[in-house]
Amino acid sequence: MLLAEPLERAIEELSKLPSIGKKTAQRLAIHLLKNDQTDVDSLIKAIVELKTKIHFCVDCFNLAVDDKCAICLSQKRDKTIICIVEEASDVIAIEKTNEYNGLYHVLGGVLNPLANVTADSLHIAELVKRVDSGEVTELIFALNPDSEGDTTSLYLIKIFKEYPLKLTRIARGLPIGGDLEFADIATIGRAFIGRITV
Amino acid sequence: MVLKQVELSNFRLHRSTSLSFSDKLNLIIGGNGQGKTSILEAIYYLCTTKNLNLASEKDVVTFGEQFFEVAGSFSDISNNKTRIFFDNILNKKNFFLDDKQVFRSADIYGKFPIVILIQSDHAITLGAPSERRRFVDSVLSQASHSYLEILLEYNKTLRQRASLLSLLKETNDKNLYSQLDAWTETLIENGSEIIKQRVNFVNEFNVYMDQTYDKVIDKLEVPRIVYNTLCDMDEENTKQKFNDAIASAREEEKRKCTNLVGPHRDDFIFHINELELKRFGSQGQHKTFQVVLRFAQFFYIKDKLGKTPIFLMDDVFGELDFFRAEKISEYLSEVGQTFITTTDFTRMEELNLIKENRIIKVEHGKTSYA
Ligand SMILES: [Zn+2]
Repeated sequence: MLLAEPLERAIEELSKLPSIGKKTAQRLAIHLLKNDQTDVDSLIKAIVELKTKIHFCVDCFNLAVDDKCAICLSQKRDKTIICIVEEASDVIAIEKTNEYNGLYHVLGGVLNPLANVTADSLHIAELVKRVDSGEVTELIFALNPDSEGDTTSLYLIKIFKEYPLKLTRIARGLPIGGDLEFADIATIGRAFIGRITV
Repeated sequence: MVLKQVELSNFRLHRSTSLSFSDKLNLIIGGNGQGKTSILEAIYYLCTTKNLNLASEKDVVTFGEQFFEVAGSFSDISNNKTRIFFDNILNKKNFFLDDKQVFRSADIYGKFPIVILIQSDHAITLGAPSERRRFVDSVLSQASHSYLEILLEYNKTLRQRASLLSLLKETNDKNLYSQLDAWTETLIENGSEIIKQRVNFVNEFNVYMDQTYDKVIDKLEVPRIVYNTLCDMDEENTKQKFNDAIASAREEEKRKCTNLVGPHRDDFIFHINELELKRFGSQGQHKTFQVVLRFAQFFYIKDKLGKTPIFLMDDVFGELDFFRAEKISEYLSEVGQTFITTTDFTRMEELNLIKENRIIKVEHGKTSYA
């Protein structure tokens, strides 16, 4: 069966989204077609603003509306502790636990030579600069407990072991192979409280 | 644990086959190329999500069809249904446990333990070290989920590290050395754990080998497996020795862009009466050893998991002349649910068939009960 071209294009675009199959994309497209114009307009606006108004924080590479993210800007956060994570989604997962009150540093990935990711491709130089500037006394490693996450932690530990810093990593309460992003809030919370010195 | 029934759709010659099984012995009889082994292949899929002979899924789909599907139900303390669906167009395999999709094969492996005695087993005693590692890994992975997880991480680390070695050779970027050190540390960490678990495994498994030999063989033969790894089994110094060995292989590793040190190069040396099987064993001794490895695997996994594996024998019954048939048959009654394929009708009476047993005839993908 041949669909009207705009509909076909909408289905095509929607099905590019993660965990959206052809069938779901079709259902969504039809739903949008039936929807009020105002609802569709506000969805379009939200998507456009998502792309134009959200940036990466210049300090920690978390998501931000301004130059700096809400966490870096907050007066209530403890600026002497930095928690190192892989992606901005990990920040969201940790924030939900309410167990952590320091700052973050989003690496933008982990070492992965198979995918051509070496230290140069991650925000490591920026992290060194932040630590060099003085205030920091503790680094917490909260990378996923797999080969890539562990190796990235080991690499960073080598860099920072000469610094007068406390280096810790979150406890391994997390399921092996289970990403931080998907672990439940209570588990991440416990992992933070039980963090150990490396 | 027993497999109650299976349904095969578009699975090689089986367009639509539905079978229910005996909790004891299931004898699958048919000529060559009629679809006997496909039934075992389907059972293996249900237990492991993997192909029995490492064949491609595309080859399993009946010619001209768009998918294959196998569904089965297991009965244990609880009842479980598993189903595998392969989409030939998307080239995608989906696995379901009780109608919920499972995304990692590792989460299934060991849940429905299975042991299979197959003709290609000759490679375990006669072939390259990789064949013996594969045997040991398959036993340990079913018996210990933590071993399987570490093995997967270790293999990934090997690929990552080899890739970095290539990058190092290509670019000669000095900054990559400290990253290589970090990968080496992860390799040693995971690799040492694998060595430790293999040491324990060989110690325990030798006891199972001994007991099994005593039962199947009249002659006084003593089997022994010796683990050959990169260093002595002293747990304290494994990491140190691993580290030293990697340090001295560094230049060669860089030149060849490959991992030269670690448990991925281990071997397991089989002995009969202190003589190395591979060098001094007769054909009969090899065959015996292969069979005993599988029976020992069965009882090892059974004890470790507290769950009785399904036992499959593919077309090997005819070869077992040197065993007294009643011994094998005695053994099989101890084993639990068994599936045996054979073309050989003549030796059936030696199996002491009882009425709980089931005989399935297979002819060009069509099955019937005898
Ligand atoms: Zn920030």
